Amino acid sequence: MIHQSDEGPGPATPGDAIKIRARGINVFYGAKQALFDVSLDVPEKSVTALIGPSGCGKSTFLRCINRMNDTIAGTRVEGRVELDGEDVNDRSIDPVVLRARVGMVFQKPNPFPKTIYENVAYGPRIHGIATTKPELDAIVEKSLKRAGLWSEVADRLQQPGTGLSGGQQQRLVIARAIAVSPEVILMDEPCSALDPIATARIEELIDELRNQYCIVIVTHSMAQAARVSQKTAFFHMGKLVEAGATGDIFTNPRDGRTQDYITGRFG
Amino acid sequence: MLTWVALLALALFSGATFFAARRKALASVGGRPVGLHSLPGYYGGYVAIWVAIPAALVLLAAAGFGGRLEAGLLRATPAPSVQALDAQQRDVFFDDAVSLSEGRQASESVYEGALKSALDSAVARARHLKSQITYGALASALALACAGAGFAFPRIRPDFRARNRVEGWIAGLFILCSVTAVLTTVGIVGSLIWESWRFFQSVSPIDFLFGMDWDPQIAMRADQYASSGAFGAVPLFIGTFLIMIIAMLVAAPVGLFSAIYLSEYASPLARAVVKPLLEILAGVPTVVYGFFAALTVGPLFREFFNGIGALLIGGGLDGLGQYLSQVQNQMALVAGAVMGVMLIPFVSSLSDDIINAVPQSLRDGSLAMGATRSETVKKVVLPAALPGIMAALLLAVSRAVGETMIVTMAAGLQAKATINPLDTVTTVTVQIVTLLTGDQEFDSPKTLAAFGLGLTLFAVTLTLNIIALRIVQKYREQYD
Ligand SMILES: Nc1ncnc2c1ncn2[C@@H]1O[C@H](COP(=O)(O)OP(=O)(O)OP(=O)(O)O)[C@@H](O)[C@H]1O
Ligand SMILES: [Mg+2]
Repeated sequence: MIHQSDEGPGPATPGDAIKIRARGINVFYGAKQALFDVSLDVPEKSVTALIGPSGCGKSTFLRCINRMNDTIAGTRVEGRVELDGEDVNDRSIDPVVLRARVGMVFQKPNPFPKTIYENVAYGPRIHGIATTKPELDAIVEKSLKRAGLWSEVADRLQQPGTGLSGGQQQRLVIARAIAVSPEVILMDEPCSALDPIATARIEELIDELRNQYCIVIVTHSMAQAARVSQKTAFFHMGKLVEAGATGDIFTNPRDGRTQDYITGRFG
Repeated sequence: MLTWVALLALALFSGATFFAARRKALASVGGRPVGLHSLPGYYGGYVAIWVAIPAALVLLAAAGFGGRLEAGLLRATPAPSVQALDAQQRDVFFDDAVSLSEGRQASESVYEGALKSALDSAVARARHLKSQITYGALASALALACAGAGFAFPRIRPDFRARNRVEGWIAGLFILCSVTAVLTTVGIVGSLIWESWRFFQSVSPIDFLFGMDWDPQIAMRADQYASSGAFGAVPLFIGTFLIMIIAMLVAAPVGLFSAIYLSEYASPLARAVVKPLLEILAGVPTVVYGFFAALTVGPLFREFFNGIGALLIGGGLDGLGQYLSQVQNQMALVAGAVMGVMLIPFVSSLSDDIINAVPQSLRDGSLAMGATRSETVKKVVLPAALPGIMAALLLAVSRAVGETMIVTMAAGLQAKATINPLDTVTTVTVQIVTLLTGDQEFDSPKTLAAFGLGLTLFAVTLTLNIIALRIVQKYREQYD
């Protein structure tokens, strides 16, 4: 049923360690099953793209990794998601700590109605990462620089983050996410609300972040998946159809449905 | 009575023209509605409106103003013996004539001789006028209804834009309603300002707004008022403010926290139980809170403080003990606390709406950062909702300031400039009630003072409401 190109569920680029290992994931929203027995490996320090038609369960899978499904009433998750070999659904794992390790960027930029500075400082403050003001300043500056936003907002840190443009807001929430130095960054269609220029900036940013973080990105753009990711997983109707090195998936898909989707025949 | 029958008949007639017109419209296109500019019902409605509305207006005008017209006409031709009467007697005479003509009880005046016969003829004339007016109205209503039909019916043609005409009538109706509402408000405010102005003729606004002494006297004799009585409203303002503060100290935290619980923590089941309960609390009439305060809470508080006082007497705090042991049922604390309870559902349901308006994406963003639920509420949801919550609290303040029943029953009547919550105080609203209850002359400063107080109260609550609505509006824009 599931075709894994190359070396099965192993790493996309040989030599990379596996950061997230999902096995046999079923997700139910009430009585409705949204994911069926999904197993996927996400390699460390690389970008993994999740593609597939709308409603196929990409966001649902993403939310399994940082347990954001817990916040939706009536949701049940079965199966194992391992982060560095630890089951994230284990009783001993505090979802709050987990989410500090696994950051998330949403489809629509959602800056808090606070200043730009406070937006970025939010995570470090609640996790007690910075104890002094200069430390916090340094983290804010570093995060904004890494998100490619510093030069645009350096002189207006005390202005509301909601006053930025859509693209700037999306980089702001990326800065907010990386300010707590997560190990994994989950991005759910981060560019869907952006124009091509802003999209290009975010893609550049993702490319840079790849050196430090494990990134999982959901995208509807085949071109984007091809540009930014090293590994691609194709979902269809709640099932993982095919996963493998991005180049292979796009040039040489094993499954007919993958072929149809990437050539734009459905979805 | 006749008017109602006529209105009913008119409704039936206009209903009949509705169907006739619809039929005609359909017939004009051979029964295929697509050929018509508007749906057939609009043609029916158009004709029915023309039949019903002008005629109904005439009937209603006759019912509403016919009596005045009758009286006016009656007075226009007084008999010589009536002309000899003074103005007041003449009024009584004509009132009696109208009353007798309608078979009602006349006044106790005795009419003799020429006056008696003048009265008889006036009664006869009143009857005659009345029937003239009534039948005149009926006849013109009938004529108007027929004219309306005659005007509207021939205009039914396939390309006639009946829909737009009916829309126009409906828009007119809405405009009429809103104009009525606006005019009523303007009228009320106008009379408030006018009467207050009369009040400020005899009491200077400075004395009123800044005077420390409130002691409005009942005018015993005509030459007595204006000079007597003190109208310094500051003690009332202080009392109102004190009770409002106590009420908000109860309502703000409890209402706000219950809103947070309901919107952020409650399971759907708990929400389904608690919300209706709060709404029941909101539905309790304030007079019930009033006697709850006066009969239950007041004695309870008094006993409590008396008990503490008894313990303290003789000790180091003897003075305080003496005071506490003499505390009465009626005190600001009782009225304020009960008013606070009354305001809890108000604050909580407004805040609940506002907190729910904070986009879920902000909560998700915070939770995804690894914040706990309470951190999310404290650091993201509440700051985001703060302006709206402030507005809700301002609206609650304006209700507290205007609340009457509870304070009337539980706060006492003595105008004291005190901020001691155990003392009896009185508020602006209570004083308005006491100034106006019972038989009063409506032009003594004492009664007019009520308008002065009313105007002040109105100005304060209006300002609060405007500020609150502004804030809410801004807040809405932020998330739309
Ligand atoms: N909160 C929810 N309650 C009930 N059903 C849900 C919920 N969220 C998602 N679903 C259902 O689960 C399925 C997968 O949804 P999901 O959001 O994961 O799809 P997706 O692949 O992210 O789609 P898209 O590309 O449109 O974002 C869909 O059928 C959806 O209707
Ligand atoms: Mg999605």
